[in-house]
Amino acid sequence: MAIHEKTLIDPDRILQHDHLVIDGVDVSGSWNTMITPRTLTDYEEHFEEIIQSYSGGENVHRCWQCGSCTNSCTMYAQNVDFNPRYWIYLIRLGLKAELMKDKDIIWQCVSCNKCTNICPKDVRPEGVMKATAHWLEENGLTPKTLSTHFDEEFTHQCIEFGRIEDTEVMVGFFKRSGQPLVQAWIVEFGKRLTKHMPLGQLTKMGMNVVFRPKTKSWGKTGEVLAEYVKAQKEAAHHG
Amino acid sequence: MSAQDTVLVVGAGPAGLSAAATIASMGKKAVIVEKEDILGGAPIISGYAKLVPSGEWAKDAIGRMVSRVEGDGNISIHKSAKVTQVAGEAGNFTATLSNGDKVEAGAIILGTGFTHFDSINKPEWGFGTYEDVLTTTQMEQMVTAGQIRCPSDGRVPERVAILLCVGSRDRQIGREWCSKICCTVSTNLAMEIKEISPSTDVFIYYMDIRTFGLYEDKFYWKSQEEFKTKFVKARIAEVTKSPDGRLLVKGEDTLVKRPIVIPMDIVVHAIGMDPNALNPEISRTFGIGLEKHGFIDRAEQYTNSQGTTRKGIYVCGAATGPEDIDSSIAQGQAAGARAVADLYGQQKIAS
Repeated sequence: MAIHEKTLIDPDRILQHDHLVIDGVDVSGSWNTMITPRTLTDYEEHFEEIIQSYSGGENVHRCWQCGSCTNSCTMYAQNVDFNPRYWIYLIRLGLKAELMKDKDIIWQCVSCNKCTNICPKDVRPEGVMKATAHWLEENGLTPKTLSTHFDEEFTHQCIEFGRIEDTEVMVGFFKRSGQPLVQAWIVEFGKRLTKHMPLGQLTKMGMNVVFRPKTKSWGKTGEVLAEYVKAQKEAAHHG
Repeated sequence: MSAQDTVLVVGAGPAGLSAAATIASMGKKAVIVEKEDILGGAPIISGYAKLVPSGEWAKDAIGRMVSRVEGDGNISIHKSAKVTQVAGEAGNFTATLSNGDKVEAGAIILGTGFTHFDSINKPEWGFGTYEDVLTTTQMEQMVTAGQIRCPSDGRVPERVAILLCVGSRDRQIGREWCSKICCTVSTNLAMEIKEISPSTDVFIYYMDIRTFGLYEDKFYWKSQEEFKTKFVKARIAEVTKSPDGRLLVKGEDTLVKRPIVIPMDIVVHAIGMDPNALNPEISRTFGIGLEKHGFIDRAEQYTNSQGTTRKGIYVCGAATGPEDIDSSIAQGQAAGARAVADLYGQQKIAS
C-alpha cells in the first residue's frame, strides 16, 4: 500500500541508519531510512464489552463509522490526531495496542457533546471518550489526573470522618499528587492571615489539627458507605 | 353491481393505479379516491425526472398508467376528495367522502403512499438557509427542465455535492429506517446532471452505498466508471457559505482520516421517505394499525402480505414502508388480486 503521509507512520517503525551497507553496497544517504511494515495480528474480542461496562460506553457497539463525531469535534479542530470515530473503531475490533498509541490525548475530550448531538446512531461518543479515559486510568495506563487525586482525598475523608476538614483535604491532595506541602502561595496566604491576627480562627485551625473533627455518631455508617461504593463499582464492571 | 363487486382504491399513485387496473381487468369495479386534483402520485406531483430503472420520463411512464385507468369503463374516479368515514365490514363497506358522496364497496385498498422528508429538520445542512441547497426532488425538476444552474445567480455549477441519508438512518430525528431508493436515485441523478452539464463534477457523500439488486452495476458502477461521479465516505457535519458565495461542505473523510472543507456550488439532499403525514388520520378513519415507524402495518407477512390489521382492507406501495416504483406496482397488482379473490370467496360462502 502506498504511504500518503509521514505522520501516519508510527515513529517506532522508522529505522534510520547513518551508514547502511546492504550486500556489500554502501547505500548511505538516499536509502538510509527503512520502515518496518505494520501488521495487525489479532483482535481482543472482549475489549468492547470492557469499555461498555464503564459509564458512558454503553452504546459503543452501535457505531457504523460515519465520522460525524470526529468532524463535529472541538478537539479534532485543534489536533487531527484526536479522532473519536477512529478510536471507537479500535475499541469495537479490540485493537487495544493501536488505541494505546493515543492514550495520552484521549482524556483531552472537553465534553462539549457536539458529537452526541449529531450522532445518527446515538452512540454517545462523548460518553465513550469518558469511559475509555476511566478505563485507562483505572488500569494504571495513564497517570491519575489532579482532579481524580482531589476527588479521592475528598471521598476518603467523607467516608472516614463523615465530613471534611479543609486543611486536611489540601494536605492530602498535595501528598497524593506529589506536590510540595510548602508552596509560595500558601506561605503568602499564611502571612496575610496572621497580619490581622484572627486569634479565634487560628485557635480553631490549631485545634482541628490536633483533634480531628468527626460527625457525631458516624460509627459504622462510613464502613457501610465504603462497602456500598465498592459493590457498585464491581457490579458495573463485572455484572 | 352490488357492493361485493366493487373495490374502493384510496390514492392514485403507482400502487393505487396498478391496483385499480388489476381489479377492472378481472371484471370488477374500482372506485379511485385521490386527494389531489391530478392522478399519478409522487412521481407526477413532485415532478420526477427519469425513473429508475427504466430510464423513462416519469410523465410518460406514469402517464400511461393514468390513461389506462381513465379510459376504463369499470373504473370511476373521485379527484380532490378524501375518505372521511368508513362503516360496515369486509364484503360490505360504506365509505363517506369529503365531497359528500358515498361509496359502497366490498373491499378497500390503501395506496396512500409516503411523504418526502422535510430537510428543514436538518438545519445544519443548510436547506432553507442557502438558495443553492436543494432536495433530490427539486434537482429532478431542474433535470426535467433541462438546465443545471445555481438558483442563487444562474451560473453553471462547477461542483455538485449529493448528501445521502438526509432523513434516513438517523436516530437523532427518529428516522430509524433506510429509505431504500435514495442511493440509486442519487447515482442516477449524478449521471443526469453530467449528461446535461458535462463541465459539472458530481460528488456523492455516503455512509454506505445501497444500490440493491440489479441497481449495483446499472447505477452505482455506471455513474462511477462512465460518468466519473466521485464517492466520498464522509457524513457531512455542516454546510456553510464561503465569502466568495460558494457553499462549503465540512466533515471528516474517514478513509483519509483528515478533515475536509470543500467548496461546492450546489448541495443536494437525498431526502428519504417518511410515513405519510396523514397516517394517524388514515389509521383512525379506516380502523387500521400502524407499525412502529408510523407506516401502515401488515396483517401477516407470508400468507396475507397485502392485508392490513383489519379484514377487508388492503395496502400496497410506499404506504407500508419505503418502496420503489416497480415494487409498488407489483404490490398494487397483488392487493387488487387478493381483494377480488377474497370477495369471490365471500360470495361462494353466501350462495
